[in-house]
Amino acid sequence: MITSARKRLRNDTASSVVLVGVALALGVGAIHYYKALSQLGQTASSNSSLSFDDREIAGGNSVIVDQAAAYEARSLIPVSAAYRLVSGQRLRVRTELTEKYVGDWFRYFLMPRRPRPDARWIICYGCDTSDLGGVYVVRWHDDNGISIGQLR
Amino acid sequence: MSAHSLVGLVALNLVLLAVGGTTLYALRGLRSWNEALRLAGLAYMLGVALTGVVFVLELVVGLSLSLPAILVTEAALAGAGLLTGHVLRRPAPGTKLTLRRISLAGAAFGGLAIVYGEALFRSGRLAGLYEFDGWAFWVPKAKAIYFFGGLDHQFFAELPGSSYPPLVPAFEAASFHFMGAPDVVTLHLQFWFFLAGFVAAVVGLLSGRVHALLLWPPILLLLVTPHVLRYGLQAEGDFLLDELIALAALLVGLWLVEQRGWQVAAAAVLLGAAMSTKREGYLLAGCIVLSALAVSVQRARAVWPRLLLATGVALALTVPWRVLLAVRNLPGGGPEAGGTGLFSHADRAWPSLRLTLSTLFDFDIWLVVAPLALVAIAAALLARRRQLGFYALLLFALAVAAFTWTTWAFPSLPITKEASLNPMPRLTGSLSFAATAVVPLLLGAAWPARTGRAVR
Repeated sequence: MITSARKRLRNDTASSVVLVGVALALGVGAIHYYKALSQLGQTASSNSSLSFDDREIAGGNSVIVDQAAAYEARSLIPVSAAYRLVSGQRLRVRTELTEKYVGDWFRYFLMPRRPRPDARWIICYGCDTSDLGGVYVVRWHDDNGISIGQLR
Repeated sequence: MSAHSLVGLVALNLVLLAVGGTTLYALRGLRSWNEALRLAGLAYMLGVALTGVVFVLELVVGLSLSLPAILVTEAALAGAGLLTGHVLRRPAPGTKLTLRRISLAGAAFGGLAIVYGEALFRSGRLAGLYEFDGWAFWVPKAKAIYFFGGLDHQFFAELPGSSYPPLVPAFEAASFHFMGAPDVVTLHLQFWFFLAGFVAAVVGLLSGRVHALLLWPPILLLLVTPHVLRYGLQAEGDFLLDELIALAALLVGLWLVEQRGWQVAAAAVLLGAAMSTKREGYLLAGCIVLSALAVSVQRARAVWPRLLLATGVALALTVPWRVLLAVRNLPGGGPEAGGTGLFSHADRAWPSLRLTLSTLFDFDIWLVVAPLALVAIAAALLARRRQLGFYALLLFALAVAAFTWTTWAFPSLPITKEASLNPMPRLTGSLSFAATAVVPLLLGAAWPARTGRAVR
């Protein structure tokens, strides 16, 4: 009889703990379910309000300083060609991520074009064009010190 | 960002479902269409796991992952599943489909999940690629596979994370092929399919075993955690790893109780895929296997050989990638501190453990997922469901130890919850997902008299 009572007590305790667990999940889950729907709705709205360029560049917006340069590079450099990105101190506007990551971002954006240290297509990110090792023919440039061209 | 891309993604995921369906038929048979529908989520995730592992093997041996190659691969996998099931005389669903009545609670929670799924889908529909790791190496690797067919020597050597197996990039490349372009915006929805498949798999596996009131709240809780809301659809490997590990943990838990061979076989496929997704997969798979071995020590002769065989199969699936890393002289991704380096960085041990626990129990990251897991473990142990309870408890403790080691063994990682500096918030995802998958099983085991089927 004592064994049976102990078993019942244990089962009741276990059931109570189960109820605590379900209440915890339901309580916190219910509050945050509505918050989640609201947050997801806001994310959807802000994503849909972006321009095509902002959406496509996305993370690059905190790295590159001129979206036009990215699109010009993609249109000027043939898909089978190689390029090199040369950065320097002549960039007029920059973010704190530009110098470190601009090469990585262009590598992602310009694929299947290959980055190569000896490539003749140049994306000059504030570079000193006299150090490029040849005659640099500019095909496009902006006012920030970014240019795209070829070495002859 | 077009309807064409969306249709392509849907087609890819239907193919994965078909492959997984035939795999499940080969492993266990499907007695009815009701059962097939109930287990569709598991079938889909098995299709993802098997396809992913085969994609990695194909890339390693130098095959081009073009659209025709993908279609032939999937047709071969589906054909092999059908043939195996036929040879093993597995039960087939036949032609009859009877609709079973679902409980009011099940319908209500299911409805909430569908509303959530729709909101998550909309949030990812036009999402840009903002995550650093996403554009720095996950998606560039996928683009390299898409444009060049295989593991391009230059990109796979120069891109960060070169030791990571290419399972996720291969899926992303397959998505690009099905979408018809490297659409990195719509790509986010592929990860919506993975998450939806995971939820459907857990619900399908447990709905016949656990009451809806014990099953759904932990799952919905996980779905609304800040971490899932913020990062759930990012085009990286972390969430797929979490989903594969969690399903494997659940299947091993079920196998410990029910001892059905297909459960451990399916777990082996999922663990193989998890280890082919990210290197942390090895650690987490080890936690699952060690926990299962420890709690089955009294039945070692019956349980251990099958569990060790499954582990061996899962590990064998990852060997070709390790060989390729060695052949190409690429880093293997081992710890910075090396084997004995932990002792020279002993001062990081306690801060690393503190970081692990404070991240796991951080309300602003995982809400109350971890406390709920501990409550469920306590309930199972109080109800004398010791095997299941200790399995979950050991899994929890070993995973905490593993996460602690990851920060301790990489001295360059600062002790911080900042996701861009230390991967701890991402790492703890695997345990949060695994806990969520196992919690309903524990709660159901501790509440046997009032549910349909008791789980011992």
